[in-house]
Amino acid sequence: MAMRAPLAIAAAILVLGGLVASVLPEYYLRLFNLSAISAVAVIGLNFAFGYAGLISLGHAAFVGMGAYGLAILTTAWGWSPWLAMPAAIVATAALAVLIGYPLLRLRGHYLALATLGLNVSFYIVTSNWIGLTGGTNGIARIPELAIGSLALSGEHRFLCVALVTLAVVAALAAMLHASRHGREMMAVRDDEIASEMIGIDVTRVKITAFVLSAICAAIAGCLFALHVRFVAPEDFTYAHSITYLAMLIVGGEGTIVGAILGAILLTFLPEWLRFLGTTYLLFFGLLMLCILVFLPTGLVGLGRRLRLRSRRTPPPASVGVPEMTS
Amino acid sequence: MNVLEARSIHKRYGGLAALEDVTLTVAKGQFVAVIGPNGAGKSTLLNVLTGLAMPDEGQVLLDGQTITRMATNRRIRAGLGRTFQHGRVFARLNVLENVMTGAAIRGDLNEAGLRDAAMEIIEQMGLADVAFDAIDSLSYGRRRMVELARALACRPHVLLLDEPAAGLNSGEVDQLIERLTALRATHGLAIVLIEHNMGMVMRLAERIFVLNFGCRIAEGTPAEIQADPAVLSAYLGEGYVHAGV
Repeated sequence: MAMRAPLAIAAAILVLGGLVASVLPEYYLRLFNLSAISAVAVIGLNFAFGYAGLISLGHAAFVGMGAYGLAILTTAWGWSPWLAMPAAIVATAALAVLIGYPLLRLRGHYLALATLGLNVSFYIVTSNWIGLTGGTNGIARIPELAIGSLALSGEHRFLCVALVTLAVVAALAAMLHASRHGREMMAVRDDEIASEMIGIDVTRVKITAFVLSAICAAIAGCLFALHVRFVAPEDFTYAHSITYLAMLIVGGEGTIVGAILGAILLTFLPEWLRFLGTTYLLFFGLLMLCILVFLPTGLVGLGRRLRLRSRRTPPPASVGVPEMTS
Repeated sequence: MNVLEARSIHKRYGGLAALEDVTLTVAKGQFVAVIGPNGAGKSTLLNVLTGLAMPDEGQVLLDGQTITRMATNRRIRAGLGRTFQHGRVFARLNVLENVMTGAAIRGDLNEAGLRDAAMEIIEQMGLADVAFDAIDSLSYGRRRMVELARALACRPHVLLLDEPAAGLNSGEVDQLIERLTALRATHGLAIVLIEHNMGMVMRLAERIFVLNFGCRIAEGTPAEIQADPAVLSAYLGEGYVHAGV
């Protein structure tokens, strides 16, 4: 019973993702890969913001830590991507613990500003520490992911990696959502004092949510580095953090399905609006505004609302069926 | 033996003395009420007992151990439980999940065990019919019952209730009295009650502490308190006659 929802989510991602991928042209496959990678990052942001209520405007910094970690280990140190990936994720998690302890003493917009500062600092460090990060030139020639002699670098093959990773991350997130740890995070978001009053260590819960969020971001960063095979500071600016937050809000904060839907929509939308030229940003902004005003619970909330409405609608009068009389 | 003790508590907020040399003792299984006019320091006293406010002077002891500087969540794990004046429930969790979150203090229970433990308390509190309902679909009175059920799920041996009858109708107050009486009988709970409903206080309390302007002005049995001129003058009123709930 407890495994049903996580397995259903994982199966849906693999089946629907596979079906969509089979009909998409190469260019859109690239976007689909990027949206799957973003979805992993946004599921991570959902732990911090959607569950525990920690407003983070620095999520892209953790994506960048994962990406740069993998890039440095594979290009400068010659590690295999399969080894570099877990190492980069563990290193990012450790940094999240170190950053989280002082940062999570702050709340609300103070925390938002502090995480924004973290992202700006990350950009400055990666742009200027040329010896390690290549500065604004970034790091190129990241090796491709391969199983033996089978390279996983084409859009189709990489999509398999991205979808499997997304399915595993989403299933684990769904398991956490239904566990005591997920409930603790949501309790902390709702009321910290009431949470303390039932024995919850609020600091521990916040740190856990923050670190889980950073781990997912690092996974997404590793995938990004392996997909694009190039990383530069411009890929991990605070604007990207705001986009991740927008993806979560548009999809529906606090839900895994919402995180995935938001990531897909906001990755494809700029391409669909390309015919508008630079005015697409105006349209994009208006759309965001409309969703915030009219759909505060995002696309998932809209789905719930429509389902409730269809349940309330009385069934049409039966035609041609005789009434049963006793 | 006293399960909970506050010794000579002083608490000031700037120039305001919220508590001045307040001492409170609660014996095992005892029902104690703290009464007094608004602003007397009753909720501040509960905040000091639960660690939401640190006393400037004085000591708090639970089961004979000093907990004066202990974090709130550790006090709860040590056996304290509390509900709030305005009812604080987790709006994004349903009734069962709220109570399961409280029961999770017991690290030995798996998910099924947590669910069973929570359902048992939900049934005791008369909430079985709304166990899977969203919090915002419940009446105010039932939300307060959810909060109480969640506090009980932590299995406290001292329960602090801050105006649990506020906002309840007379039928709900009667139910609350019955449930608190039953809880004491079955769990041997010590209860500290802050309440303005004097009918409820006089029916339930074995000892009453009266606070006024942060000072303890009286302590005694309900009969003694009702006859105390200082209490009648400061809070109950000169013509006070207890006439039930």
